Amino acid sequence: MNAVKVLIVLLATLGVTETYAFCGFYVAKTDANLFNNKSEVIYVRDGKKSTITMSNDFDGNAKDFAMVVPVPVVLQENDIKVVDRGIFEKLHDYSAPRIVEYYDQNPCQPVYEDVMVEESMSRVSTQSITMMDNVAMNKDYKVTIEAEYEVGEYDILILSAQESDGLKRWLLDNGYKIPSQAEEVLQPYIRSKMKFFVVKVNLEKYNQSGSEYLSPIQISFEDNRFMLPLRLGMANSKGSQDMLMYFFTKNGRVESTNYRTVEVPSNRNIPLFVEPKFQGFYRDLFKNAYHEENENSVFVEYAWDVSPTAGVKCDPCVSPPPVFAEFQKAGVNWVSGMNQSSKVFFTRLHVRYTRDDFPQDLFFQETPNTERFQGRYVITHPASGDFSCDAGQNYLRDLEKRRKKEMNELTALTGWDNKYGDNYVKEFSNQIKEESTPFVSPSNDGGSGGGGLGFKPMYLFALLTLLGVAWMLQLNWNKQGV
Amino acid sequence: MTGIEKITALRPIFSIREWMGWFTRDGRHFQILYLSLFLTYGIFNLGWDVGLTKFFVIFSVGMAVQALALYLVKAPMHGLKSGLITCLGLCLLLKADSHWALAIAATVAIGSKFLIRVRGKHLFNPANIGIIAAITLTNDAWISPGQWGSSIILLFLIGILGLVVLFKVGRVDTSLGFLLTFAALDFCRTVLYLGWEPEVWLHKMQNGSLLLFAFFMITDPKTTPNAPVARIIWSMLVGVITFVVTNWLYFHTAPIWVLFFIAPLTVLFDRFFKHKPFQW
Repeated sequence: MNAVKVLIVLLATLGVTETYAFCGFYVAKTDANLFNNKSEVIYVRDGKKSTITMSNDFDGNAKDFAMVVPVPVVLQENDIKVVDRGIFEKLHDYSAPRIVEYYDQNPCQPVYEDVMVEESMSRVSTQSITMMDNVAMNKDYKVTIEAEYEVGEYDILILSAQESDGLKRWLLDNGYKIPSQAEEVLQPYIRSKMKFFVVKVNLEKYNQSGSEYLSPIQISFEDNRFMLPLRLGMANSKGSQDMLMYFFTKNGRVESTNYRTVEVPSNRNIPLFVEPKFQGFYRDLFKNAYHEENENSVFVEYAWDVSPTAGVKCDPCVSPPPVFAEFQKAGVNWVSGMNQSSKVFFTRLHVRYTRDDFPQDLFFQETPNTERFQGRYVITHPASGDFSCDAGQNYLRDLEKRRKKEMNELTALTGWDNKYGDNYVKEFSNQIKEESTPFVSPSNDGGSGGGGLGFKPMYLFALLTLLGVAWMLQLNWNKQGV
Repeated sequence: MTGIEKITALRPIFSIREWMGWFTRDGRHFQILYLSLFLTYGIFNLGWDVGLTKFFVIFSVGMAVQALALYLVKAPMHGLKSGLITCLGLCLLLKADSHWALAIAATVAIGSKFLIRVRGKHLFNPANIGIIAAITLTNDAWISPGQWGSSIILLFLIGILGLVVLFKVGRVDTSLGFLLTFAALDFCRTVLYLGWEPEVWLHKMQNGSLLLFAFFMITDPKTTPNAPVARIIWSMLVGVITFVVTNWLYFHTAPIWVLFFIAPLTVLFDRFFKHKPFQW
């Protein structure tokens, strides 16, 4: 029983007339991946219709897998599908933060070369484990089986419950270990007239399929709410969990309505040596940004118009953009070809959440904002060769300044100690001729790192300006006797 | 004659006391100062990604329309202060992809004050109708209710305190009528009925957009009933409807829409509850 853990995904519904809403994950296993406890979801929103695909990156024994998902309505069999797990990989890679590489030209020996290489973070997997067997009904539980389906390699039950205690006992008696943090929110979901979508693997079918992996499950329903019930996923009180959300909408970016949505720092020039450590760099950058935004914000990592009619779908592209096949898999069913009604906007949001900082479930809205965004970090290779000409000497001086800025940027973004940065900054300094240095300013540019103006002084300045204006108005109006 | 008297006699260019006297004479000064603080907080501390040209469009169009209208109706130019408040309100609440949407919002907001009037009062809250116009007419504008996060509550508390102390309760009754009604109903549903922890409710109540709406939008004296009792009933009505719309229809920008439809009822309230109208 020790190995028994639960992956819980909840669909929340409050209220009377409505049906639905949706999902938060509990991913139990901690491992050495880029983001521990990470889950992924694809969310297609069209009017009131939601299609949600949940990744099952589970590499334990298939018989140990189980999942509980609160849903607003009793889903019909054709509202539930399994899809190819490749879709997650594709969307992840397409929208991953990226490094862009540029090459300097030697001003003393002009060479016409302009190369750009891109690299994205490799995909990381997360795992979850669950188990369920002996589904048995007992009137004491006040739990009712509303429907029973076989979809793909899964056996699915839809339950309704009258009290959290009964549901909890039912789950426990059927082999689920309910994390205490999840238990405390069962009641609100039951009160909201939610159903519970319970999934286990049909071993016979799974073995027949010969697949190594479990397929992602996709569900569809209609409801006013555009949300993910994170709280049910907060099973583990220890530490934070990460969720990557890939949204497809018709008009523009998706943002949270009850938490701040901010863009991750992007388009920054960083030192060359970061390239082989890019994963660590981005991990620390995200961590830094997460702390700076008070640990209660949602981050935009990518936003782009991916309509068939849209020209450039990424700049630079690190992997092919989603096309018709991916739209179909994700549940984007309004794309019919190269026409105006086939508009698709893609938004990737990344949230790191804990129970204390995210007490409410995550609610979203679609906005008309079509501004593009990507997490993009620029490295620049120095020129090589002889720099003895005047232009070459100037280049070297500029290079030193630039590298100093890059180091400051790196520290501002990631908090990395730049004690080894000196060698990097001075790498070419020995080629600078002493006599031609009088014009090198002992500049302190780049000192502010991430482009910060120093918020407090600006704030004060604005206040003083305002007071000044008010004072002038006063003089003016006093003269008029108002 | 003491030295102090001599200085007073010379009439200094800047006298704190005189300045404070002038400042506190008109509630709008405080509003302008406070809304500007919010704007600077949004830009510098929350790092809003807003082009300055967008603000420029709102202010230039809004103030131009206001000045023109004041000139046409031969009203004193200190009415520009009201225009400034409306423009600041738009900057704080409205987001748009195009400058057109903002220009429409500013024009409708200020224009409505002069064109849609009943017995000397505005039928719609200016910033409110401007926002609604931009959203419904252009498809390019939106409200970001989550943009303030929930850490801004301290700034609001200071603001309320300032409001109470400086202006001896101008229209704070409207704010509190709305906020307390909404908060109480939501507490009953979220915590008592559904069984969420109080933090969930508290997190909802700390939403910066909700507080901004409560203290700076529905308090507009030109669009709220004149009689205090009527004002409280009216604001409670806004609170009840907002509660229903947010909890059952999941409309996250509910207060703005509710105010749009409730504001015209002010005319009826003023008919049943007689009271002298507000003058700046």
